[in-house]
Formats: sequence, structure tokens, C-alpha cells
Amino acid sequence: MNEKPTSKIVVEDLDSSFRDEVASVPGGENITKCFACGTCAAGCPVTNVDEEYNCRKIIRQVLLGLRDDVLKSPVIWLCALCYRCTARCPQGVNFTDVMRALRFLAIREGAAPPDMLASNDQIERLAQLIRRDLIKGTTAGRKEVIEELKAKIAKA
Amino acid sequence: MHKKAMVIGAGVAGIQAALDLADMGVETYLVEVGPAIGGRMSQLDKTFPTNDCAMCILSPKLVEAGSHPCINIVTLADVLDLQGKPPHMRVTLRKRPRYVDESKCTGCGLCMAKCPTKIPDPYNKGLSTTKAIRIPFPQAVPALPVMDAAHCTYHLRGKCGLCKKVCPTGAIDFEQKEQIVEVEVGSVILACGTKEFDARLKGEYGYGIFPNVMTSIEFERILSASGPTGGHIKRPSDQAEPKKIAILQCVGSRDASAGNEHCSAVCCMQAAKDAIIAREHVLGLQATIFYMDIRAYGKGFDRFVDRARDEHATRFVCGRIASVESDPRTNDLNIQYITRDGKVLNERFDLLVLSVGLQPSESSKDVARRLGAKLDASGFVAVESTAPVQTSREGLFVCGSVSGPKDIPESVMEASGAASAAASVLGDCPAREVSVEYPREKDLRGEPPRVGVFVCRCGINIAATVDVPGVVEYASHLPRVRHAQEMMFSCAQDSQKTIRAAIETHKLNRVVVAACTPRTHEPLFQKTLQKAGLNPYMFEFANIREHCSWVHQKQPEQATTKAKDLVRNAVTRVTLAEPLYRKSLGVNKNALVIGGGLAGMTAAMDLANQGLQTYLLEKTGQLGGNLRHVKSTLDGEATAGKLAELVAKVGSHPKIQVHLSAKIRQIDGYIGNFKTTLESPAVEISHGVVIVAAGGEEYKPSEYLYGQDDRVVTQRQLEEMLHAADTSAVAKLRTVAMIQCVGSRDSEHGYCSRVCCSEAIKNAIRLKQLSPRTNVYVLYRDMRTYGLKERYYRQAREAGVMFVRFENDAKPAVQRSGGDLSLRVQDDILGATLEMKPDLLVLSTGIVANADNKGLSQLLKVPLEGDGFFLEAHVKLRPVDFATDGVFVCGLSHYPKDISETIAQARAAAGRAATVLSKETIEAEGKVACIRAERCSGCGACVAVCAYRAIELDAELRVAVVNEALCKGCGTCAATCRSCAIDLGGFRNEQMLSALGAL
Repeated sequence: MNEKPTSKIVVEDLDSSFRDEVASVPGGENITKCFACGTCAAGCPVTNVDEEYNCRKIIRQVLLGLRDDVLKSPVIWLCALCYRCTARCPQGVNFTDVMRALRFLAIREGAAPPDMLASNDQIERLAQLIRRDLIKGTTAGRKEVIEELKAKIAKA
Repeated sequence: MHKKAMVIGAGVAGIQAALDLADMGVETYLVEVGPAIGGRMSQLDKTFPTNDCAMCILSPKLVEAGSHPCINIVTLADVLDLQGKPPHMRVTLRKRPRYVDESKCTGCGLCMAKCPTKIPDPYNKGLSTTKAIRIPFPQAVPALPVMDAAHCTYHLRGKCGLCKKVCPTGAIDFEQKEQIVEVEVGSVILACGTKEFDARLKGEYGYGIFPNVMTSIEFERILSASGPTGGHIKRPSDQAEPKKIAILQCVGSRDASAGNEHCSAVCCMQAAKDAIIAREHVLGLQATIFYMDIRAYGKGFDRFVDRARDEHATRFVCGRIASVESDPRTNDLNIQYITRDGKVLNERFDLLVLSVGLQPSESSKDVARRLGAKLDASGFVAVESTAPVQTSREGLFVCGSVSGPKDIPESVMEASGAASAAASVLGDCPAREVSVEYPREKDLRGEPPRVGVFVCRCGINIAATVDVPGVVEYASHLPRVRHAQEMMFSCAQDSQKTIRAAIETHKLNRVVVAACTPRTHEPLFQKTLQKAGLNPYMFEFANIREHCSWVHQKQPEQATTKAKDLVRNAVTRVTLAEPLYRKSLGVNKNALVIGGGLAGMTAAMDLANQGLQTYLLEKTGQLGGNLRHVKSTLDGEATAGKLAELVAKVGSHPKIQVHLSAKIRQIDGYIGNFKTTLESPAVEISHGVVIVAAGGEEYKPSEYLYGQDDRVVTQRQLEEMLHAADTSAVAKLRTVAMIQCVGSRDSEHGYCSRVCCSEAIKNAIRLKQLSPRTNVYVLYRDMRTYGLKERYYRQAREAGVMFVRFENDAKPAVQRSGGDLSLRVQDDILGATLEMKPDLLVLSTGIVANADNKGLSQLLKVPLEGDGFFLEAHVKLRPVDFATDGVFVCGLSHYPKDISETIAQARAAAGRAATVLSKETIEAEGKVACIRAERCSGCGACVAVCAYRAIELDAELRVAVVNEALCKGCGTCAATCRSCAIDLGGFRNEQMLSALGAL
């Protein structure tokens, strides 16, 4: 709270119909129930590695009407669709399904770059393969590989 | 048939309702499903916000209910059916077997000691064991054992029967069968409470899986001196003392996925209390409370939370936890949480406490259905906000948490309110004649003093620090002491029997109890003396708990020495004690109610409906008070019609006389005999009780450009707009901002005004209904939609209202720029500043105490608290009484509250007042000042210093005369008198000097 605010949002410039639009897409119906408790973000495995992906913040952006900030942001493609947020949410917001609704809108409005869409599936599968191999130890020189990957991620 | 009623459920609400009914002369059946009365309060360690010991303030009520001549306690009973209408109703009960003959059992506990079968102790939530035949807890009323047939070896295998063999009175009866009993009563009160949420249903928190995760009620037992660890905090896995504990709020509350949408209303304060108490137990312990909104909405609650934070190093983290992991090697718990600004943090804790919510139990729902009371969507007994103690069935009333989660004072208020309501439908049936039969008082003239000393262990409260056997041994050698013994709990019912027996056996004529405080327990022991034929003033109390074991916890030897000193002192004083007698006073049956708002009118109607002449004073020219400015309740019910109806009823009631534009000049007198003189209109009123219902005021803001810009209004003004005939202006609003806590929870007003969050939500919903396109932003610190109000918070969110949280040190900034209002507030989740140009800025202003409370408090000689509201006798258990007898308080005079709470409290005040007015005579205190006329010079110094105006100068004889009914026995006059002409009963100079000499 003591940090200087990084940005300014002028309420009158926002698109207050965005909330209703999301709520009208199947999966997005319960978004207005959110009371911002943060349970979704606290348990999210993606937030755990990247705080920029924050379910509570995304819901807030939708409710306030920050349409472009949401639909054009790459973070909405980070969700691993694990449904942990949905399982833990005390208000039944079903955030994973809200996320599907947001992706649907992003695609429909052309806000999602097609090349990213195409590669997302591959990335998902690749990430799972790496995970499997590292845990099962089928990759030779497990430690070295982890260090190598870390270095590459840090550079990128 | 004389007046009869039934109270179903014997927790603190049911007990209070039964006591009030009984004090009104109504024969009352107090029906409890379990083996003993007391409810959940008996399991709590301390109570917020005063940190009184729960059992210590409850047990006198238990004993009173157990010994009241108008109360029949029926335990182990289920309610099957209710027929008829008031005052002719018939209840069918099923009484389950105790397997102990209640008429034969003395409660000696031998059966329990010998029983070979151990079972988990339900009183300690299974954290310790008890026996298959058990006395539920040491202070249980009735103090009788109950047999658990499901575990008893005899019941299971037909062998054993040890208890039967050892029982000295042959009270064990394996053949007892359940019985169906029918009871005729005039009205019924439902008070069967709630159950705690089953934390196993939130598997992610690991309760029942990880050893060091426990519920808040289990933690209360761990904190309690009478609990499974003797009051030492130990974590279950390794019995180690935890240094770092986490308390998770809203486990099973505000959680639609767990089936409970409501807020449980008590857990925030319970968590703050437990954090403070835990730190008092363990040096350097740090507690962290994970919460969503801190709901400290009651009297003194916010300051209590501040104390937990500032003085007891409790950390409050705003955030809900997704799940908990336990380290399989250490059993430590790891909690991952996210800060409001989006940082993911991990923290390790030694112990985790889950603040489990309150919810309707299946059995209470079942009882409500059988009795024909409608339930609401959450399964609580449904009530209307303008009739908070009335169920959907005529003659069936309700109080306590069965109609929605509430804390102890709210439950007690509703209980007194329900008692008043239940008594008012009993019609013209006569009251039951109550005459407590005490044996004839023994004539002690010429008898040498024979003193008995009873030293209480108070479980371990005293015994863990003070060497109790050492004190007993010491006392037994003091001069004139003929008997000394220790007791586990001297306040328990069987202890009274023991004391009486000792008085008989050892021919004692004076008694000293070395235990706790006379404030709560002196009347109990005085009654015990009376039952043994002794004058109640042949008694002295030595407080060796507060004054020894508690304050000198770390110096046991010195504490023991001090306890011996105090006992010696008490023995010396009691040796010189003389019988004192309480004066009997007649009761004037009229009532005076000050304040013609909702509270005053409601109280007046209840009293008048009981046939009591009531005078209602209103300082303005019309009745209605603040309610005239309220257009609807939170649930959308219009109030104007209800108000008009009430004003008309009050105006036309033959037993109510209204004085408008009334100004009080003077109030004289005392309980049963007040005389009030009005300046205008010039009348004099004689009455037996006073109810203060003088109301409160809306805070007049100076902040946020209020008064400087027409677009800045209060919620009250917005409500007028929303209910105006023409609301077209509302539909044109584009942006509306509301700011909470204006004039509340700030440096000037350190309290929460309780109603403003709901007020904002009520108006926001209405605004969205009238104009869905208007953007509504509610800027808040904590949303305090406590209890069942939580559903309207959800309704507002679903309607599209935006809620933005701010910290007290980062309040919204409002200014005028160009022609516009401009508002800026930091949004902590987005890490950005929200800027808006509201067409309307609505300030949720608080409630402040009336400026003229001060004058009224001086006229009535009753106290105000720091914020200017009236201060009740006890914040927990006497929420509508003043310490001054015969004076009661309700409504906004007492503290901010909503319509429903005001009505409940007003009915409670009327009920409490009726307990006085239903009596023909009352007894004054015995320890009063007494003038020795031959020494009095008539100087008048005592008249000047008496704060109670209890002394007058007899003009003819030129001596001072004490009005014994007014005298509070404070002793100021005795200390002032230069001629030593005044003695205070029980504190004569000889007594005081010899007591000082003994020290």
C-alpha cells in the first residue's frame, strides 16, 4: 500500500458494458459474485511462478470495464485450466470458466494473435513432457538440465 | 391455570428468557436436548470485548435458573409437537432416559470415578476423555451424571454395573425408559441455537487430516483452565508450546460453496480475543489472523481489535487462504497467501485455528418445523425485521442464534425481548405466587462466633498458583475458625449443599469463602447461608483469584502468602459481622419511557399491553424519531406505513400517556418509587421504572466538501431522493460514489456505527433498480454486512455495484476541478489510482450520541461511556440494565443499531422493567448507612457529598436521615462525617480497624 501508484485509471473512460458482455458468455455468468477475497490467486499454480497472472486482478479489470487491458493481454493465455480456483472459490465464481469466456471473446474480437494460439497447444504439451521426464529421471544429467533450463528462462 | 410458558433450548439466550419470565411470575419450563444447561457459552474461555471469564459470569445464571422457584428444568428432552393458540397451548415432549434417578442422585460423582469405560469428552470436543457415566462439566446444572448407553459396558454386554454398586443412594437405574410428556403452557420461546460448521467439509484446510489444525471452539477449550490441557497451550502433534499460530476466518461462513452464504457474526471478535488470550498464555507468541473483512461492529469492538493489533502484536492479514500443507516430518503447517497488491507469500506456522462458522443444526430445523415456525432460505427461523422475536406462528417466539448468528449480548437482548413478548400474550392468567421459603433465621445473640472457611480451587484458576491445601491448613488454625476445607468449584450447585451441610454439622454461624469476586458470586453464597438459616450478611468473601493467582501468576509463593493474609483479614471481619436486614419497598406500577422514537414507542407498547400505565416523553413535537427519515428496511420493506401504524397505536392506547415537547426538570427517587417533574408541560409523574430510549443523531460531516457542494449528500438524503415521487433525476446520474465510515472509526469517533454498510448497500441496490446504467462505486474499509445481511452484499455485487477498499491512512481525495467533483482513490488490487467525476457523492455518515445525553445521565445518575452513549450494567449479560436498579436503556441511546435490533432491545428493556413492575415489593440492599442521631450535629456535610441524594436533614430534629432505598452503601458519608455519627452496615469502624489490624 505504501508504494506509489504506478498508473491512473479514469473511471469515465471505462467500458462498463464489458462486465455484462463477459457475464453473457457461457461460463462467465458468475463473475459479478466475486468479493475479491483472493482465494483463487492464493492457490493458483501459475500465479505462484508469475505474479503478473492474478485471477483476482483480472476479475477486477473485467468488472471495472478495462476491456483492452484484459483481452489484449497475453496473461489470459497463461491459465493452466486446472480448476483449482473454481474448487476453492467461496462464491462460486468459476474462474476457470470465466477464463474460457475471456479467451472466447479475445478470439472473437481478434485480440489474440493467431500465431500464439497455434503454438499454445504445443507449449502446453512440451511443458508437460519436460515435467514428466525430469520427475521420472529419464533425462540424463537431471540437475544440469534443470540449471540449463533455468539459465535459458532467465535470459528470455 | 396460572401463567405458564416454555423455553426450548437452554443456552445463554434460553436461560435469560426463562429467568426473565420467571421473574415476571410466569412458571417456566426450560427444555434442553442435552443433559445440562449452559449451551456453547459454557465451553468458551473468555468473552470479548472485556475478556471476562465466560464460565465465571455464566455460572451464577446457571445456579439461579437451577434454583428459581418458577423454573422447571427439563433435560434430555426433544420437542415433538405444539398444539393450540396462546394462552392455551399444549407441548408434547419426549424425555430420554438419563439412567440416573434425578430425585435420588446427590451428584457426588462416585459413579463417574469408578466407571471403567472411557469415552471422548464432548464438553472438551473430544480432546480429552471422560467416563461412560459422567457429570457433563464441573459447574453443570443440574449437577447430575448422565449415562451414555451407547458406550456403557452394562448396556452393551449386560455385565459391569459398577456404578450401581457404588452409588450410595441407589440412584442408578438401568431400566429407565423414554417418556412422552404433555405440558400445558400459554406461550413458547424457541432458543435452540446453532451448531458449528463441520471443518472436515473444507478438506483443503486439512482439519481431521493434519494433527495441528483445530477449530476455534477446540482452541477455546485448550485456552480454558478447565479444558483438556488445563489451560496450557499445547499443539496436538507433540504437545509443544506453539509460538506462531494462524487463525483462518470464515471457515464455513460467507461461503456459498460450503452451503453457508451468511456471515457468522461472532468469529472476527472471537479470533481477536483468542489472539490476545493466547499471547497472555505464551510469552512471545505471535498470532496472525487471515480475514476478508474485520467485522468489529459492536460496542467497544473496534478498540478491542486495535488493542489486539497494537498491544498484543496480532497481525491481521487481509486475504483468504486457498489451502494448507503440513510438513510430514515436523507437522508444521505451511500457508500460502497473496497480499492485496498481488505478492505471493509462504509462511510456516506451528498451529492453525479454523474460525468455524455457525449454522442451523438439523435438529433445530426439525424442531422449528414440528412447531410450525417458517425457516428462511439459510435454514434459520424466519423473522421480519420489524418483528425480530416473533415467528410465523402465533404464540411462538424466538431468540438467540436460531434466528440468525449473533453474539452473547444480542442473544441476551433478544431473550429478554422474547420473554416480554411471550408474557404479553398470557392474557389475564394470574402470576404464580412466588414465595421463597427460607428456614427461620437462627437467633445468634449471645452465641460465640463459629467461622467456616471454604477455599476454592476454581479448577486450576486458583490451585495452579496458590497452594490451596496450605491455605486451608492455615485457615483452620485461625482464631474462631471451627471448620476449613477446600472445594473444586465453590460456585457449583453441589458445593452449596456441602457448605450447608458443613454449617449444620459444625454449627457454624459465620462463613468465609476464599474464591473469586463478590461482584458476581456474593449473592449466590448469601442465598446458601439463608437456606442454612443464617443471616446473609454473616458472610465474607476473600478474592484469592483476581487478587492472588491471576495477578501473581509467576510468584506462587507470594500469591499463597497473600491468600493467607486475605483469608485472615476476612475471618477477622466476619467475626465482627452482625445480621443486617433488607428493607422491603412498595412498587409503583407505572413506567416512564424517555424518548418517542421507535425504541421508546416499542417499549411503551409492550408495557402498556401488559396492563401497565406508561408515560412516554418526547422532546420534539412529534413521535417517530430517526425512523421518520428511514424509507425502507434492508430487505426492501417500506417503513412509513409501519411507523404511522405504531404512532397511531401509541396515541390511542388507553394505558399510554404521551407528553410531546417534554422537558425534564428533575428525577427523584429509586426503584419502585420514582418521581419525575417536567418543566413543560408542568406535570409530576410517579413511576416505578425508567426506560431511557432517547435516541441518537446523524453525524453532520464537515469532510469531503459536504455543505460546500450540492452534489455531496448523506445516505439519508439519498434515501429521500430514491423514494421521492419523481425519481427521474436519479436515472440521469452517470456515476455515483459512496464513501463509508464518515464520522466512524476515526480519531474523533473510535467506534463503528454498525448500520452504514447496510445502509449504503440498501441504497445502492435501490439505485441500480431505478437506474441500471448508473455506475455505483462504494468505497469502504471493511464491509460489515454481518450475520444474515451478507446476502444483500452479494445482491449488490450481482446488481453491478463496485466495491473499492481503502485503508484509513489512504482515504479518498475529493476536490472540485472546473465545474466537476473529482474523486481519487487507490485501488490496492490493481495497484492504480481510480479517478472519477461523480455526479453525486454520498457520505455514509455515522451515528453519534445525543448531545443532551449528558444532562439526562446526570438527572438519572447513570453513567455514559467515552463516546457519549449510555453505559449498561454489563456489556455481555446485562445489555439493557443500568447498574442503578429500576433504570433501563434501549435503542440508539445505547449504541448504533438497526431497526430490528432496536425493536428487540426495546422489547427487552420493557421485559426487564416488567420483572420489576410485576412484583408487589422489592428488597433494598442491606449494607446501608446508619446515622447515630445522638452524635449527629446536623452539619449537613453528608448531605452534600452523597452522590445518590440519599440523605436529607430533618429540619426539626436537626439530624441527618438516610433513605435506605436510595443508599448504595458507598460509605462516602461515613468517611466525611466529623462526628463519627455514621456507620455503614458491614463496614463499621470496629470492623474496618480490626480487619486492618489483622493485616
